[in-house]
Amino acid sequence: MEGTQEVKDGAGRESSAGDAISTVLLVFAMQAEAMPLVQTLNLTEDDEPSIFPKALPWKKYSGTHEGLTVHVVVPGKDLKLGVDSVGTVPVSMLTYASIVSLHPDLIINAGTAGGFRAKGAAIGDVFVATQFANHDRRIPVPVFDEYGIGTLAATPIPNLVKALELKEGKLSTGNSLDMTPQDEEIIKANDATIKDMEGAAVAYVANLLAVPLIAMKAVTDIVDGDKPTVEEFLGNMSRAAAALSATIPRVLEYVNAKSISNL
Amino acid sequence: MAGVEEVGTGAVGVPSSGNTISTVLVVIAMQAEAMPLVQTLQLTEEDEPSVFPKAVPWKKYSGTHEGLSVHIVVPGKDFHLGVDSVGTVPVSMLTYASIVSLHPDLIINAGTAGGFQSKGAAIGDVFVATHFANHDRRIPVPVFDEYGIGTLGATPIPNLVKALALKEGKMSTGNSLDMTPEDEEIIKANDATIKDMEGAAVAYVADLFTVPLIALKAVTDIVDGSKPTVEEFLENMSTAAAALSAMVPRVLKYVSGKKIADL
Repeated sequence: MEGTQEVKDGAGRESSAGDAISTVLLVFAMQAEAMPLVQTLNLTEDDEPSIFPKALPWKKYSGTHEGLTVHVVVPGKDLKLGVDSVGTVPVSMLTYASIVSLHPDLIINAGTAGGFRAKGAAIGDVFVATQFANHDRRIPVPVFDEYGIGTLAATPIPNLVKALELKEGKLSTGNSLDMTPQDEEIIKANDATIKDMEGAAVAYVANLLAVPLIAMKAVTDIVDGDKPTVEEFLGNMSRAAAALSATIPRVLEYVNAKSISNL
Repeated sequence: MAGVEEVGTGAVGVPSSGNTISTVLVVIAMQAEAMPLVQTLQLTEEDEPSVFPKAVPWKKYSGTHEGLSVHIVVPGKDFHLGVDSVGTVPVSMLTYASIVSLHPDLIINAGTAGGFQSKGAAIGDVFVATHFANHDRRIPVPVFDEYGIGTLGATPIPNLVKALALKEGKMSTGNSLDMTPEDEEIIKANDATIKDMEGAAVAYVADLFTVPLIALKAVTDIVDGSKPTVEEFLENMSTAAAALSAMVPRVLKYVSGKKIADL
């Protein structure tokens, strides 16, 4: 199997290239990232019947926007610890369950990320991910190593990026907020501009089920800067959430009734 | 808030002590680990109708054994690369989808693991996990740090362990086959005897749905030994798979017709 030159395309381009986008699924990891947008779009939370099993903390907010059916889903608060169920496991399950129930034409994974200033990232930037990869799944066995990295290309959206003047860069995902030397080495090999905790998992699921995916990440902290990550992240979270809730409606308006191949 | 001490309340699968075990879901990450057992139990793969979406590589082998309804599920081979879809993301989705479709009374996560000889592990041992935790989800923010580790107690099965003379130990999960110094530090803090790549994720899902879980792991390599992990793992894989295909039927026989609280 080839290496990074033959990066697999973001899911489903061929199959849904002609269909007008009418249902969009937005996947967020953190409630604080999602709620400003939920409010901006006037979406309502479902009570009954819920599409998700009762036991789970997952939430769905739905409505219409400019003729699109829009669903925002979050993994919700951990039942024991009360914090957002961040990371690849809860969000991949949530994405899977949402796709099989809601049949979206397009998924948008929106959230926050660390950015590398050496790659041109600044706090407050909203990046579109051109590519996804993992940096914390090291399996040093032939072919498994590539599987661990799990590089996937995003659905190409050159017209959207140009029209909305968005920045683009490769995204690397790991389940840790910090970064070890091994993580850093792999993130650099992944040529990532931004670093998050769910993107590559959402991409994996979207690719599995052949649904086009756009990932939009607002930069909260500069990874290769002087400030400690946690401090910067907490300090800039609400600003980043606000940036997302301003940009996403513009993205929705742009994609509305277009076909994937026109993006 | 359930910490490690509060195994009762933090244990996966609140004992639905009135229910007799009749349907068992066995979750296995690698086809090579699963097939000897599928053959031993004479389970058959279903083509139509599948409980899983057509698009996914997941497989289900079902049948009856000792009066139990038994389903073995595997995440299958990665579409792009052809290797088993190991790790927490595919296996958690598989476990999620299997629980919602098959409604098992009990889940068994069977597979291979690295063992720590300083904690009494030897190649070929089959361990029952007493606790699950992650070692590659470092989130240094209050409460999120605990969430990242995600410690869960296993469903207590003292009678089964004694009857089958099984070894017991804590398990730590990470998506890498190797182990960095940071991983090692956390694995030690997790007090793990065995180290795998899916267990804590299966435990997370089982716990969300309060389905009791037993994790059985055959040791393929000694992590704190002199031989390189990959070499040992590949060498001992089939021995370990054979050990599982001998042990799992004994476990099934033991649980058949019993209640969780009796295990």
